[in-house]
Amino acid sequence: MRALALTLLLVISGTQANAADEPWRTDPRAFINHFAEAGIEGILTAEIDDTEKTAQFRTLFNDGFDIPAISRFVIGRTWRRTSDADKEAFIALFEDVIVYTWSRRFSEYKGQTIEVRGTTPDGNTGTLVDSVIVDKAGQTISAQWRLRMRDDGLRIVDVIIEGVSMAITYRQDYASVIRQQGGMSGLLDLLGKQVVESAPS
Amino acid sequence: MWQLFLMSRYTVSPHRLLRAVLPLVALVALSACADKPPASNPEALRAYEERNDPLEPWNRSMHQIDQGLNTVIFNPTIAVYQAIIPEPGRKGVTNVFRNFRAPITFVNDILQGEGSRASTTLGRFVINSTVGLLGLFDVAARMGLPYHYEDFGQTFAVWGMGEGPYLYVPILGPSGGRDLTGYAIDNMGIDAMAWIGRADNPFWWQIAYFGALATDTKSNAKPLLDELKASSVDHYAALRSVYRQNRAKEIRNGAPAPVPDFEDYEYEDGDGDPFSGLEINPTEAQTAARTD
Repeated sequence: MRALALTLLLVISGTQANAADEPWRTDPRAFINHFAEAGIEGILTAEIDDTEKTAQFRTLFNDGFDIPAISRFVIGRTWRRTSDADKEAFIALFEDVIVYTWSRRFSEYKGQTIEVRGTTPDGNTGTLVDSVIVDKAGQTISAQWRLRMRDDGLRIVDVIIEGVSMAITYRQDYASVIRQQGGMSGLLDLLGKQVVESAPS
Repeated sequence: MWQLFLMSRYTVSPHRLLRAVLPLVALVALSACADKPPASNPEALRAYEERNDPLEPWNRSMHQIDQGLNTVIFNPTIAVYQAIIPEPGRKGVTNVFRNFRAPITFVNDILQGEGSRASTTLGRFVINSTVGLLGLFDVAARMGLPYHYEDFGQTFAVWGMGEGPYLYVPILGPSGGRDLTGYAIDNMGIDAMAWIGRADNPFWWQIAYFGALATDTKSNAKPLLDELKASSVDHYAALRSVYRQNRAKEIRNGAPAPVPDFEDYEYEDGDGDPFSGLEINPTEAQTAARTD
């Protein structure tokens, strides 16, 4: 019992120390700035090979995004009828899909930067961060980040580029597959094949 | 090729062509309707209505045909185009088309009651047609008059018209009842090429014009569309979703989407119905957050 209490105390104080050391975890504007900087300096412009870039991006993605929440959203109503094993399988495949999708674009980076323009409340514990991606010619692309506050800080649950939501697009894509295949197993099969095909060699 | 030659001899106008083809299209489309779920299955019925794609089997075949046309005609054309003309030149081509088609945006700005945006479009047209060498250089953007785009589909939406059934048109791509009607009005009624076509019937001019316009548009869109294809499982459904979200944004004139309360992000198993009240079809609220 004492061991449990001690562990709990350590975990709690550890979390608090974490939040105090990293104030960007609770400030939406600083959170997006931090991730933009980590992405640009730690991955896009870093002197590391592509495999290492993909690995770094996977870490960053896991740290910044609430992947289980996004998974629930993109699967929609079918989620509650899905077995725990299939849920886990989906979350793992979905993470691969996103990581490989973004990894393909690393080489297209040409010095763009992210400028946060403002924030608005979103949902009960959320914030929508409005930003623009600016290229060297000064042309801008709008990017909005939907954030939710979790126990250990903020997490991204959606990215909306030029009005197109990543989560809604995946949700409608997968809903169509689930409907035609008659359930999750067909979707998992197709995602498995997609991941094998798109995995960097 | 010979069909095109015959058509040019017999002065087939786009209007006549449409009159001849549309009844046939309607007939085939009606036979390719998606089955509407019964009222006893409200979840499936609701999903069917959210998709708003009653002609889905027909649209999917059109999508297949379009993919084939891309492989056989447009992708090789784009590859040659991109090999011959480097990026700054291609930007110039896009600028020329934008400038030449600025009257479409201007008329629709006015029809939507957007006086200030209409004067921006007019100012851009005057500056870019002269100082910008017939639109080749977008000088006006550097003078604080940024490009924007309007069409009759957006005007109909601003006037309160619903999007109508989703329609996939080969070459043109994703569209819908409202947007396709708008496209016809823009290109047969407002675009300068329509008037040039009527005056002297240079049929080949129109073919060349729309061919070049399609090449420019497809060349610009290709990287994003390729990416969507690679990252989606059902490319047809993903493209339909992206098209609708993008149209909703254009109709809102770029204002942020109205934010639905995404309770489902908080959802854990067993907490009631997290999806009640969540409309994922963005066209529902498309004009709600429009900036005026």
